[in-house]
Amino acid sequence: MHIPDGFLDLKTAATSAGLSLPAFWVALKRLQRTLPRRRVPLLGLAAAFVFAAQMLNFPVAGGTSGHLMGGVLVAILLGPSAALLVLTAVLLVQCLLFADGGVLAFGANLLNMAVVDVLGGYTVFVGLRHLLPNRRGLLVATAFSAWAGIVFASMSCAVQLAAAGVAPWGLVFPAMVNIHILIGVGEGLITTLVVLAIAQAQPDLLPSCKRDTTPSPLRHLIAYGLALTVALVVFVAPFASKAPDGLERVAATLGFAHHTVPSLLPAPMSDYQIPGIGSALVATGVTGFLGTVLVFALAHLLALRLLKPPLPQAGGAPRL
Amino acid sequence: MTAAVRLDKLHYRYGREQVALHEISLTIEAGECVGLIGPNGAGKSTLLMHLNGFLPETLPLTPAIFIDGEPLCTATLPKIRRHVGVMFQDPDDQLFCPTVFDDVAFGPTQFGLTGAALQDVVTRALTKVRLSGFEQRSPHHLSLGEKRRVCLAGVLACDPKVLVLDEPTSDLDPRGKRELLDLLHHLPTTRIVASHDLDMVAALCSRVFVLDEGRLIASGNTHEVLANEALMLAHGLEKPHSLRHQHPH
Amino acid sequence: MRTLALDAYSRLDSPLHRTTPGLKLLAALVTVVGLAAVPTTAWWFFLAVATGLAMGTLISAIPPGFLMRRLLLLEPLVLGVAGLALLQPNGLNAMIVLVVRSTLSLMTMLLLTNTTPFAELLRVLRRVGLPELLVTTLHLMVRYLFVLVQESERMRRARRSRTFVTGRRLAWRSSATLLGQLFVRSSERANRIYAAMCARGWQ
Repeated sequence: MHIPDGFLDLKTAATSAGLSLPAFWVALKRLQRTLPRRRVPLLGLAAAFVFAAQMLNFPVAGGTSGHLMGGVLVAILLGPSAALLVLTAVLLVQCLLFADGGVLAFGANLLNMAVVDVLGGYTVFVGLRHLLPNRRGLLVATAFSAWAGIVFASMSCAVQLAAAGVAPWGLVFPAMVNIHILIGVGEGLITTLVVLAIAQAQPDLLPSCKRDTTPSPLRHLIAYGLALTVALVVFVAPFASKAPDGLERVAATLGFAHHTVPSLLPAPMSDYQIPGIGSALVATGVTGFLGTVLVFALAHLLALRLLKPPLPQAGGAPRL
Repeated sequence: MTAAVRLDKLHYRYGREQVALHEISLTIEAGECVGLIGPNGAGKSTLLMHLNGFLPETLPLTPAIFIDGEPLCTATLPKIRRHVGVMFQDPDDQLFCPTVFDDVAFGPTQFGLTGAALQDVVTRALTKVRLSGFEQRSPHHLSLGEKRRVCLAGVLACDPKVLVLDEPTSDLDPRGKRELLDLLHHLPTTRIVASHDLDMVAALCSRVFVLDEGRLIASGNTHEVLANEALMLAHGLEKPHSLRHQHPH
Repeated sequence: MRTLALDAYSRLDSPLHRTTPGLKLLAALVTVVGLAAVPTTAWWFFLAVATGLAMGTLISAIPPGFLMRRLLLLEPLVLGVAGLALLQPNGLNAMIVLVVRSTLSLMTMLLLTNTTPFAELLRVLRRVGLPELLVTTLHLMVRYLFVLVQESERMRRARRSRTFVTGRRLAWRSSATLLGQLFVRSSERANRIYAAMCARGWQ
């Protein structure tokens, strides 16, 4: 999701920086006030960890592979302010040491991957954690929030690309978000597995996994409500924004888009376009909505599966 | 004359369970080089961590450690950290700066040195460990022996009165070991060396303390203690080869 | 390991390497901003930047092949995003402009990062007011980046030598467990580094 230089115009780059820098500043001030001195080296090591983690490939299909982004993971491990600073360091090194991600686009990349991913994902995490405070809830919240963080970040990235006039809103938004609804599943899965591994090896490192109470049915209900709200945000987002190009333009180019999209973008995306709904934006809204509900259900299944007792039980549902 | 290091019934336990150090009392004179030996888990590293106040987490009201006559307490902690230089086991943990220069300069910078004076201190420290010209190198690209020597330079740049070394020669190849030993041998500072490498201890230290299960078992002249085969075997150690040839039974 | 050689040329000795890091950073920023600011029809500007970069490469004594390889490594991303522009009217023209702008910006940054060690860029950023906490984080990150990458390689090798079944699901689980262990180790290392920093007067 690293935007290179040359894509964003000055106006978009400046606006993004103007949004991300204050967020960075607030996080920094909070850290300076609350972070104990002995935790300072951990920030640097966590940044190096994120970098090393991003180099580890996870096989997907047909020779392709994905990797962790790590924003929500670090937020869960170190808290949102520290995560924002850590991700800023990672992006700065990627930009100035490896020329990965532009300098002019730095504010935009910071906004997407350090601010929106971390804060958005972490908000979802905290919300779900309140409602599902047990061990299973930790995994469900981790999986879902890591996914949500990636989807939020891709939305913000789409807004920037559209605002800079790289491609019309009606095309760039579905393209970005649909792909990242899938990529986010990988992120959620890896993040959950890593959190589980840490919870097993060194539970002290996970401040949020200690509480262990049984959730009431009501809490479950509210958790589903929250997931539904996120789904609605994903669903409504494409319409709420004042798109630079109207829906008519999208409808006009849709036929064209259907022919070119599969060759330009990874194959799975085309499955997510539901044909015949009339507009790519509506399709994105619907897939976004269905995707959110589906991912939330998947997060539950994953948590159940991972916490299955070591003795394999034939048939019956695993008990906790 | 005040002792460089004096421990007075130093006691420490991890958490609420096991006692890590059991009322240890000892005295080390200025300029001495002493060895601290014992099996794994004897409490050597724990003892060393006390010497610059890194353990216990909250310093006791009645001090058990005296450096150069000064009791180690909250008020004297910054001063004592400056007087006691520690070389840790893994040089990668100690070399935390991007370049050798920055790393050697870290300590002096904390003590307020800048500009030409800083430059001068770093140059002198690197000359002492025979690594002049390594200033701009990245620690990542150094050999283990070189890393250890940079660590030593970083500690020496702080001009410590007491030098504490935790397993300084572990994993070094013979040449790296020889070079480091040579350097340590000629330092005028008080040195405390914790190690399993008894040949190294025999070559470097005049006196040794044997530690096991948090207790001070024995102390005395290096050659006498190390030659005591029964004592060595009882505490998971072995009479060093260098002494075997000197005292054939 | 491919990443280890990434800044292999940043410490060569050439007029470009000797130029003050601050000046180089400023020049690179002005170039990148300029590339974004000029109208799409300003071919003379693009040509001038390209000529400047070619001359810079020559002066820098860095093998052009090395820079080209680095550029090609990053180019798929550029083409991917630029491809989106194809989907609008007059898309081909827009895409070409995007690719040109982006490639020139990328080349500018590659030339900067390969003629200036990161530690020096960091020193410049610190002078212009990058907050101390971020500077410390960046210092430690750069120092331990490759230590951790190598640690994870070692762990993976050790794991692979004891793994006899393969499969995507197992691969995911074992990689994730590896990352978990890597984080646990990193946090332990952070504690030891804190001890080492304190031992030399940090407070």
